[in-house]
Order: sequence, then structure tokens, then C-alpha cells
Amino acid sequence: MTESNAGRIIELKNIRKSFDGETVLDGINLDIHDKEFVTFLGPSGCGKTTTLRIIAGFETPDFGEVFFDGAKINDLPPYKRQVNTVFQKYALFPHLNVYENVAFGLRLGKKLKEEEISRRVKDMLRMVNLSGFERRNVESLSGGQQQRVAIARALINHPRVLLLDEPLGALDLKLRKDMQNELKNIQMQTGITFIYVTHDQEEALSMSDVIVVMNEGVIQQIGTPTDIYNEPVNAFVADFIGESNILDGVMLEDYKAKFSNQTFDCLDKGFAKGEAVDIVVRPEDVDVVPVEKGMLSGIVTSVTFKGVHYEIIVDIGGFKWMIQTTDFVAQDEHIGLYIEPDAIHVMKKSKYSDQFGDYSSFSDELDELSVNTEEE
Amino acid sequence: MKTMSRLYTTLIFVFLYAPIGILVLFSFNVSNSTGVFMGFSLDWYKELFRDSATLAALKNTLILAVTSSVIATVIGTAAAVGIDRMKNQYVKGALISATNIPMMNPDIVTGISMMLLFVFVGGLLKLDNNLSFATLLIAHITFNLPYVILSVLPKIRQLDSQLPEAAMDLGCTPMKAFFKVELPAIMPGVLSGLIMAFTLSLDDFVISYFTIGSGFETLPIRIYSMTKKRVTPDMYALSTLIFIAVLLLLILSNVISAKAEKKPKKK
Amino acid sequence: MKQRSLLQKCLAAPHMVWTVLFIIAPLLFVAYYAFTDSEGAFTFDNILKSLEADYMVIFFRSISLAIIATFICLIIAYPMAYAISRAKPSAQKIIIMLVMLPMWMNFLIRTYSWMSILEDTGFINQLLIKLGLEPVHMINTSGAVVLGMVYNFLPYMILPIYTVMVKIDRRLVEAAHDLGCNSFGVMTKVIFPLSISGVVSGVTMVFVPSISTFYISQKLGGGNFDLIGDTIERQFQTAYNYNLGAAISLILMVLIIISMAIMNKFSDEDGGMVV
Repeated sequence: MTESNAGRIIELKNIRKSFDGETVLDGINLDIHDKEFVTFLGPSGCGKTTTLRIIAGFETPDFGEVFFDGAKINDLPPYKRQVNTVFQKYALFPHLNVYENVAFGLRLGKKLKEEEISRRVKDMLRMVNLSGFERRNVESLSGGQQQRVAIARALINHPRVLLLDEPLGALDLKLRKDMQNELKNIQMQTGITFIYVTHDQEEALSMSDVIVVMNEGVIQQIGTPTDIYNEPVNAFVADFIGESNILDGVMLEDYKAKFSNQTFDCLDKGFAKGEAVDIVVRPEDVDVVPVEKGMLSGIVTSVTFKGVHYEIIVDIGGFKWMIQTTDFVAQDEHIGLYIEPDAIHVMKKSKYSDQFGDYSSFSDELDELSVNTEEE
Repeated sequence: MKTMSRLYTTLIFVFLYAPIGILVLFSFNVSNSTGVFMGFSLDWYKELFRDSATLAALKNTLILAVTSSVIATVIGTAAAVGIDRMKNQYVKGALISATNIPMMNPDIVTGISMMLLFVFVGGLLKLDNNLSFATLLIAHITFNLPYVILSVLPKIRQLDSQLPEAAMDLGCTPMKAFFKVELPAIMPGVLSGLIMAFTLSLDDFVISYFTIGSGFETLPIRIYSMTKKRVTPDMYALSTLIFIAVLLLLILSNVISAKAEKKPKKK
Repeated sequence: MKQRSLLQKCLAAPHMVWTVLFIIAPLLFVAYYAFTDSEGAFTFDNILKSLEADYMVIFFRSISLAIIATFICLIIAYPMAYAISRAKPSAQKIIIMLVMLPMWMNFLIRTYSWMSILEDTGFINQLLIKLGLEPVHMINTSGAVVLGMVYNFLPYMILPIYTVMVKIDRRLVEAAHDLGCNSFGVMTKVIFPLSISGVVSGVTMVFVPSISTFYISQKLGGGNFDLIGDTIERQFQTAYNYNLGAAISLILMVLIIISMAIMNKFSDEDGGMVV
């Protein structure tokens, strides 16, 4: 990411917003660059949708400034902004057919010739693979088709920025994957800045140029998907994105960390000597070895077959680790673990320390439950 | 069980339609009796179309029904939107309750209460004729309003709150968003409110009876004054024609609503 | 958004003004007339006069005839509504339309038509004579008045009960059968409690017009069975004693409010919804 002023299309400066005395956004600072695919990622209630609605103009911030192309737009109504939105449940106009829904934005403002409208609507429908659906009633379409109409409708006026509010939330898994690819293609084809809101970390990782991780109205981390995954800044980010073992540790000196009563080589530096830190080790970065070759050892308490790998829980000194391995190990087996220096990521302590990272109460069911409740 | 319920339903319908059948039958009677059928003729229909007072009353009734239902629909639709957007629950609740009073109150009370208002205000203004077409129109709009609001309000509540936002997002001002998106979406409710108001106004006797001025006569009022004496079958002929008209109107409105429902609702 | 809410608050303004001017104000005038004499001086005379024996007889008659008519409507309408709710959806639509259709026809004419049926030389008696039976005197009896009420207001009972019944989830009936209920048990333990809100609104919708009618009693009662409606009508249209008429109307309103309160309490206790 460059810090030059030139590429910035949207700037949010110290945005605060509360509803009925409840703080929803607590000082959001964010630059969004032209032609980027930016994703706001976070659990429900983290403020991502409110941020999006402030950019769209449906909400005004209590405090702070919104800039578009360098001009302040706090009080500009939504219908004067060069941004368009794909709504969560599509919000297609039920009294209009597919063609008229897409043409809606063209029929406002200056008069266009009907041929011009028709040409642009047809182009747009071709882009979202809905050619031939012009006369269809929008309520007769499947969820995925309605989704495409919503995208075509929002893109017809060539907005500078397209806002997408959990657009794939209502689709089933398979369709969701296909639509992810299509959305990414449309973004690259049109060169429009996409701001995408989701609580699905996989979706965020696979589509975005930049991910903005939010929680409790505060931006936790901004970075590329690999940054976010490999170098989470705190326990919240580490836990929310992917699976993580998060342990209490101490930084002995640069490149030396101590956790689980062992000293490990690592690639991190710049911490005070003896500073208490959080250590992240991703489950797939741990090698299972015989006990005598291991840097750590423990008892396997559960084994789950996941297709490409086994997911095992290992009890090491009372802390339960999750490890993904392709080698079969049996329950109650005593195994050793080997961790490469580059598999260890050291984070400063934060208010999220000790809240996440232990798999002692882990179960797949709970995981799924929490995903479902997030979808509201 | 099946035949039992079918028999029962049929019996109820015989009961409901017996007087209608009788009056349709006697509208074709040769003699002027409404008790003994002497033979078939269309004389009473011819008679009806020669009766200028009845035709004038019919015309008045239609004018009244059209104006009152249209005005009530405009005021009522605007009111329903306004009520839906109201933040203050107490004002909202009070207004809805007050709106419903004419629906809950007996017609005769609504009628005399408005009559008292008109008489009192007319007395203050020293008007010779306290009651006129205007008072009748006001009365009809008043009892039509709750029915319009009642049929529009649920449609507004069902409306996806994102629809106006989507319209504004695409470049509509709030006003344009209302007319281009919200109003078409609640149109079925508005139309059924209009039809309901129209038919209620067409049929109203009790409230009109107390609020109508002299020199103006609606059909129900004329029928009332005629049934004070011995009714001749031309009134039956008129009723038969109205019955057919209402039947057609009902079929029409059913076709409209069936068309609206044809859009298969996804979940 | 602020600009929106302001604009849309104004939308209800004409209706608010209308409600105050033509719904609230007229009712205040009823109260005003009820408590003043023809000179406009405050008095209780009208109320006291309405409570004299002559009028009490009328009140009592109105209430009893209205209760009887309401009860008969309920007895007739409930099985009817149930039968309709069990019919095929396409058939339901047609049947409901047929139930509503007579309501859209001028009720004066329909009531008058009953006269031709019930008269001593009317349709039924002609039929009886042809069958060699004794003619029966029906017109101008309280029975004829009740018949007129039942006939005119029956649809108001059928429709709300049907509306509630058709919404009852059929799986509830299956669940009750599954748990060992017989058909009678399903009816009393499932269908009826769930349809109580429809019954309440049906009863209200029949009771209110029945207790306040004047045309039905004039035509089918032959003027022998004065009801509250007749009394009020006479004060305003022939006797021109607006003050007394207003007082009787006020008492009628109070009567109706009390009976609605009783109905609502009754349905609340049964856990039903008040419509």
C-alpha cells in the first residue's frame, strides 16, 4: 500500500457514531484507495455495516469527517454520492421486472434515449450472466439471480465505489463460492473500488486486496490477506481469522521466545527484554514427531478426520493445542511436536489476551453455532 | 362429514340469498305486486329508466362515492405513511384509536354526532341550510378513512425498509423514492382501500340519513323514503342492476388481486 | 434520515386535523347536547329522562334482542367458518366472495324483501297454504326482528372467525391427534381456543349494529318493537329533541364500551388475542 495522496478515494477521519447512547463506532480512521477490493471483516455488531452506511450516506457520523476524492461529504445525501450499494437482502423493487430494476438508475436525472438505456442494461445483464432474463419478475428469481440483478442495478451508473453489504449471506455454500469468483472478476473487469462487508473470514481472505478487521467499533488491523493471516496484531485477529493456538509467552531477547516452559527460536524482534507477549502458532505449522524428537510433548485427547487432514487436540501441560496433520495418530497417544522458527508469531499483549486460543472447550458444533448466530 | 358440511353451507347460502332471489324475481313481475308473481316482463326496468328522480339519485350517489373515496384514499394513504414513520408511540397509538372510532361506533351515533356538529356550526354561521352536499361528503370521507388506513398500513409495514434506501442510493431524492418505489409497492393496499371506501360510500344509508341536506338525494336515501310506502318493483329492478354491478366489481377486484398474487413469493 | 422523517410526519397532519374536527369534536358535541337543555344551560335532565322506565324497557329490549341475534349468528357462523376453512383454497375464495356479496347490496331493499317473504300473504305462507298447512303469523314479531338482524349481520360473524381459523396451522391439529386427542378434543382443546379472537371480533361486529339498528325494527317489527336506534332516530328526525337524543346516544355508547370491555376481559382470560 502506498501512502501517497493520489490513490485515495475515500478517507474516514476519526469517525464516531452511537445509537441510543450505545457506541457503535469509536474513532474509525481509514483510507481506501482507488480500484482496490477492500473488505470490512468482523463479527456482528462490530460496526462494519454502520461504516458502510456512513460511506453510502444513509447515516451521518456524530463526529469525524468523511472525504470522497478529497472533498468532505459528511452532509451529502446518498442520491448525490458517486457510490452505489448492493444491499444485504438485495432490496430489488418488487413492482419492476429485471430490466426495469437495472434501468432504474438510468431513468433518473438526465433523459437518455431508450436505445441507449436498452444497450446499457443489456450489457450489464450480460456481464452478470442474466441475458434473457429482462422480462422476468424479480420475485420469481432464485437468490443467486436476484443477487446478480442487484449487482447490475448498482453498477449501471458506473459508480466510483461499489458498496456490498454481506451480499452472499443468503446464498448456500456452493453458490457463494461461485459468486465470490464472479464478484472478483467483475471488480477486475470494471476497475471499480469495491468495499465489501462480511463476517466470513474465508470470503475475506480469498477476495480482498485489503482487509479491515473490526471489533467493538474499533479497527483492529488493516492489511493484505497474507499480512492479516501471518502477522495478526493481537489475539482477537489471530483467533477470528483462521485457527490459532494462542499462548502466554515471554520475549527473552530478539529472536528468542519462551512459552510452554521451553525456549524457541523465532523471527520476531523489537520487544523489551522479558516482555510478556502472546504467541500464535497456526495448527498447520506444527509437525508431529516422535516424543524424543519433539520440542514439546503431550497426549492426544481427540482426533477428527477432516478429509485433507486430521485435526487433533493435544494436551501439553494443561493447555490444549489444535494441530492439523496428515499423519494418523491415535487418541491417548503420546506425541512430540516440532515447531519451526517461522511458524511462531509474537504479538504484543492486548485487551484480548487470554480470551482466545485454548481449544479445551473446542467442538465443531459450537463453532457452527457461533457462525449461525452471526448471520442473524 | 364432507356432505354434511356441504349441505350446511348450502343451507346458509339459501338463507343469505333468499331475499335477493325474491327481489330479482319480482323485478320481472308483470303486476306491481311484490308478493305474488303474475308473469314475466321487463316493464319495471323500463319504468326505472323513466324515473328521473331515481336516476338523479343514482348519479348523486356515484358522484358522492367517487369523490369521497378518492379524497379518503389520498388523505388516508398519506396518513398511513405518516403513522408508520411516527416515532412517538403514544401519539401513534392515540391517532390509530381515534381513527378507528367510526368503525367501532354504531353508525347511528356517528351519524347524529356529525349532525350535531354541523347543526351547531351552521347555527353559529347563521346558515339557512345547515346540511348540504358538503356535510354529506365530509361524513362519507370520515367513515371511509379508517378502512383506507386499515388496508394501507399493513402493506407499509411489510415494505422492505431498504427499498427507499436503494432508490436513494441510485439517485432518487426522498420524495422521488416515495413515488417511484414505495407508492407502487403499497399500491395493492391503496387500491383495495379505494374499492372498499367506494362500496361503503355507495351503500351507506344510516350516516347519510342524518347528515344529508334537503334538495339532495342519494339512492339509499331514496330507497328509504320509498320503502316507507308500498314499494313498486322498479326498486327491485334497480337493486337487481346494482347487484349485477357489484358482482362485476367484486370479480374485477378479485382478478386484480389474483394478478398481484401471481408473482410467486419466494419464501 | 432527518429530512425524510420531517416530510413524512407532515403526511399524517391532514388526517390528524380531520380526526380532531370530524371524529373527536362531534363526539364532544354529543356530550355537550346530552348535558344541556334547549337553551344551552347545563342539566342532568336528559340523562335522567333516558333512564326512566319507558326508556329502560327499550334499552332492555334492545340488549336482549341483540344478544339473542348475536348468539344465533355465532351458532350458525362457527360451523360455517370451520367448514369454509377446511375447503380447498380455490373454493374458499369463491365461498367467501359469496358470503360478502349480499353485504354490498342495499340492506334496506334486502330487509324489505324479507317483508314479502314473511308477510301473512307472503312467500312462506303462500307455500304453506299450497302444501295444505295453516299459515303462520311471522311479520311484526320480535322473532322477525331477530331474523332481520341475523340475516343482515351474519357475514360479520362468519368472516372474522374464518380469517382466524384459516390461519390455524394444520400441524397443530395433527399434533393433537398424534398426542391422543379425538376429533371432539381437537375442536374444544385446539381449534376453539385458537379461534377465540375471531369469535370476539365477530361478536362485537354483530352486537354493535344489532343494538343500534332502527330500520330492521321499523320494517320487520312493524313499529311494535322500538329499539334504542328507533328512539334516537325519532328524537333527531321527527321529535327534534336533540338533547334527549344525544343523551340516549351517550348511554348507548357507554353500554357498548362496557360490553366490549367484558368481551375483551373474557377473551384475555382465555389467552386469546384482542382484535
